[in-house]
Amino acid sequence: MKRYIGKRALSGLLVVLLSVCFNFTLIRLAPGDPIRIMAGTDNPNEEMIEALQQKYGLDKSIPEQFVMFLGNVAKGDLGYSYISDESVIKLIGEKIGPTLALSLTAVLLSVTFGTLIGIYAARKNGSRFDRFVCSISYVFDATPGFWLGLMMILIFASSLKWFPTSGMVNLRANYKGFAYFADVCRHLVLPISTMVLTQTPYYFRIARSSVLQVMSEDFITTFKATGMKESRIFNKYVLRNAILPTVTVLGMSLAFLLSGSVLIETVFAWPGMGRLMFSSISKRDYPVLTGIYLVTSVVICIAMILVDILYGFIDPRIRYD
Amino acid sequence: MALLELKNVNVRYIMKDKKVHACQHVSLEIEEQDSIGIVGESGSGKSTLASAVLRLLPQRITQVDGEILYNGKDLLKLTKDEMDALRWTDLSIVFQKSMSALSPVHKVGAQMEDVYRVHFPNAQKEEIKQRVYDLFKVVNLSDRVYELYPHELSGGMMQRVSIALSLLHNPRLLVLDEATTALDVVTQSQILREIMSLEQNLNVTRIMITHDVSVVASTCKKIAVMYAGRLMESGETKDVLVNPQHPYTQGLLKSFPSFKGAKNDLRGIPGSLPDLSQEIPGCVFAPRCPFATEKCRTVEPELKTVNGKGNWKVACHKVGGE
Repeated sequence: MKRYIGKRALSGLLVVLLSVCFNFTLIRLAPGDPIRIMAGTDNPNEEMIEALQQKYGLDKSIPEQFVMFLGNVAKGDLGYSYISDESVIKLIGEKIGPTLALSLTAVLLSVTFGTLIGIYAARKNGSRFDRFVCSISYVFDATPGFWLGLMMILIFASSLKWFPTSGMVNLRANYKGFAYFADVCRHLVLPISTMVLTQTPYYFRIARSSVLQVMSEDFITTFKATGMKESRIFNKYVLRNAILPTVTVLGMSLAFLLSGSVLIETVFAWPGMGRLMFSSISKRDYPVLTGIYLVTSVVICIAMILVDILYGFIDPRIRYD
Repeated sequence: MALLELKNVNVRYIMKDKKVHACQHVSLEIEEQDSIGIVGESGSGKSTLASAVLRLLPQRITQVDGEILYNGKDLLKLTKDEMDALRWTDLSIVFQKSMSALSPVHKVGAQMEDVYRVHFPNAQKEEIKQRVYDLFKVVNLSDRVYELYPHELSGGMMQRVSIALSLLHNPRLLVLDEATTALDVVTQSQILREIMSLEQNLNVTRIMITHDVSVVASTCKKIAVMYAGRLMESGETKDVLVNPQHPYTQGLLKSFPSFKGAKNDLRGIPGSLPDLSQEIPGCVFAPRCPFATEKCRTVEPELKTVNGKGNWKVACHKVGGE
């Protein structure tokens, strides 16, 4: 097991290195020039542009820049934003908390609701409840999240005024302590509801079909033939077998925690990684973008390794020796 | 009184637009300590019949009528709890697909323990373990299988596990549904020998479902031949196999080579099973029968006793009487 984790960590490191290398090169090859943006469009001064290019090392070739970048990363320095001149680590650090508060909560709620409803619907397969939930799930699965978000704002924020329209805190109130926490929660309700509504159907259908499939397996007939109570067969044997696909899917969505909610963050003006990434792309803020890609790929690798290890615990057919 | 008596059992699979008559008018008596082999080609309703007896068919899409008397009680009329009480202590079964007969993510021993506790909820772990080890010895498995997962065993080993599992509570009636078909002949004969010796020691009655007539010939006292959901011929193995009366039985036997004796031509039965969703007038085998007459195509034959022997019965117009 230890050897396996070591091996996976090493290959994970390689994947991170490769993906950062790709991203580093790609964004620099893309059209658009940060120096031009910094210099302004009205009357750009050629000398100033040259000076800026030298200052940020953009006069060097891309491989040279990459080696310099790696050297800085090794020292724990991700560089400074071209636009705000703030350290990239600080920028990402500020945004990672809000994004996790939003995405992680949404994912955990969706998994829980989706799986529970899915299991229950499969148990009552063909019942009115099952048919009802199935049709609802298709509706929400087909609904685009950003549109649903806009509708939520329109109904619950603009018209009913139950919740704030956007942002993470009420900037005018200057809350402290518990009041601050409660205010953040109030701001979280609409974006999280939107994400939960669009993500739950996914987990619902995985859980439902997986339970149905396991219930038709031969070993279920064996246990029925032995006279075992159906509740026991279900709770012990069906669930343990049916949970495997949910774990796989959960692992994949954990990987997209940091970068997966750009649209929702934009709609709700949520100060998270998604929006930081979006604005950095439009301003060609290379250091911030590279930093975000680095952090994202590290998170994806860690999530995948964790899921693989978890798999080894719940499915004995998977062994890592 | 017979241990198990089937009286005019019909099984129908109900589809959206049609009903498939998987078993029709099956009547059969199985005495205590009998061993009966039910043979027939694929799709002849053997497994359906066994599942119907054990009430394992999905209720929503099947319809079973007639009487299935076990010890005089009609199994079809029992409540779910009464039936559950009989399961495994009285009636147990070994399925064909033994590789998937147990949950893949639980240990073999833990699952057998669970099954043991279905009928003895307060049993001690040690006591169960001892019982399982004893059964493993019977089917020639080592004790370490207890701690293994199903995927760590070979097909033959899983088959033995299934057989050991079926014997957990000393059932009175054991159904082997193609239980040894997937095994190689050496393992098969070894397991069959073990089962036969168990029968004598433990007073088990066995129903063996197979399409291998030679297995029935060597291990069963009685045989029942099924075709298209109907019973064609049943009786003592030594009578039926030596002197088959029904044209279908004769055809079936001609499609197996004989080990000793004259080298006869191997011949199959031309044609295939009829569509069981249609009403079939007359004898179901008539379209494939070389001796069929006009009567065969219009009047369904009843089971008739052959040669005055009470338990040798044939459903054919050509036999007896005329």
